[in-house]
Amino acid sequence: MKSSLEDFVRIHQREIRSDPVFRVQVQRMCQLLGVDPLASRKGYMAELLGVGDFYCELGIQIIDICVGTRSVNGGLIEMDELRRRLIERRLKGSEPVVEDDIKRAISQLKPLKSGYRIVDFGNRRMVQSVAREMNSDFSTVLTLAQYTNKFTREDIRLAWNWDQDRIHACINDMLCLGIIWVDEPDFEEPEYWVPAFFHAN
Amino acid sequence: MASTTAAAGEPFQFPEMYNFPPFFTRQPNESTWKEQRRQWCDLVLAFYRHNRLYSMSLAEAVTEPPFANRQLRRALRVDVLREVVDELVKQGNAVWAGAKGTKDICLVFWRKPEVWATMIHQWASERGLFNTVLTVFELANGDDTAGQEFHGLDAATLRRALDVLQSQGKAQLFAGASDEDLGVKLFA
Repeated sequence: MKSSLEDFVRIHQREIRSDPVFRVQVQRMCQLLGVDPLASRKGYMAELLGVGDFYCELGIQIIDICVGTRSVNGGLIEMDELRRRLIERRLKGSEPVVEDDIKRAISQLKPLKSGYRIVDFGNRRMVQSVAREMNSDFSTVLTLAQYTNKFTREDIRLAWNWDQDRIHACINDMLCLGIIWVDEPDFEEPEYWVPAFFHAN
Repeated sequence: MASTTAAAGEPFQFPEMYNFPPFFTRQPNESTWKEQRRQWCDLVLAFYRHNRLYSMSLAEAVTEPPFANRQLRRALRVDVLREVVDELVKQGNAVWAGAKGTKDICLVFWRKPEVWATMIHQWASERGLFNTVLTVFELANGDDTAGQEFHGLDAATLRRALDVLQSQGKAQLFAGASDEDLGVKLFA
């Protein structure tokens, strides 16, 4: 079975590199057969698939984007935004990138122990690039902001009836980490915005 | 952001952050604020370059773009803008003008006086105008300089460029009856 998979991959090598949908399908097939093409960098399947370098390169680009935007978003970037930026910075004509590729590239970064992982807040899928456990209060509050990109202290109180100290501590910590920014116009209740959720267009 | 002066009438492209309401509130966290201030500095220089603006009265500036966003009903506070300008001054991209010790008016150098100085000197060289007395008014507004990058330059910034040339021994300034009558002779 393995050898027929090898033959298949060898024949379709070019399509695998150029067609992301096909690439994902082949990888699923490998998984079903219990073969992980990325199990080792010198894995024979990785070489055959020609994907070792692809994911390595992608991983470096992901790190670059995450580090470059960290001062604005506190180390949280939305999956779609990351993909958009990846496509933008990759050379024209290079292989297209799909979410599945990003997942694989991130799982390859694990040995670096840099804390890169994918986290979901409600319907928002994010890539977290700082090694810290997301405080469960943060996650709860971020879920609250998933549709509107923002929240107020009152929103938190109404949703979960937390006491003022808990709300205060949570917001303060999130501000310190740069995960949220405060909008405080004169004479109005401050609103807290999640830069990672906000895209002008 | 555009690195050269845009053609007249072309609308300024605001960065994404201009539509992010908290961008107009000074962030309490120091490292976030540093990033925010950096983005404001970039925006000021790009906006002033695009619109060929040279000086800023802070109190007036906060009522207009790029410091106010009418759609969002948000504006930067004067004291926060002052911090942004302080940073521009530190970078050499602005100087406080107005009475000594006050921080209400500034000149914004989206092009440094040294660069304007080089352009003016180059132009004089090409036109064979060395050792000729020119008025400062002519330099900025005369027909001879039409089409030059420094045409339309405001008096205060132009004066700083000429000061640079004078300190390099490439110009001599002659006081006139008024600021506009100030004369200058350029040398090779």
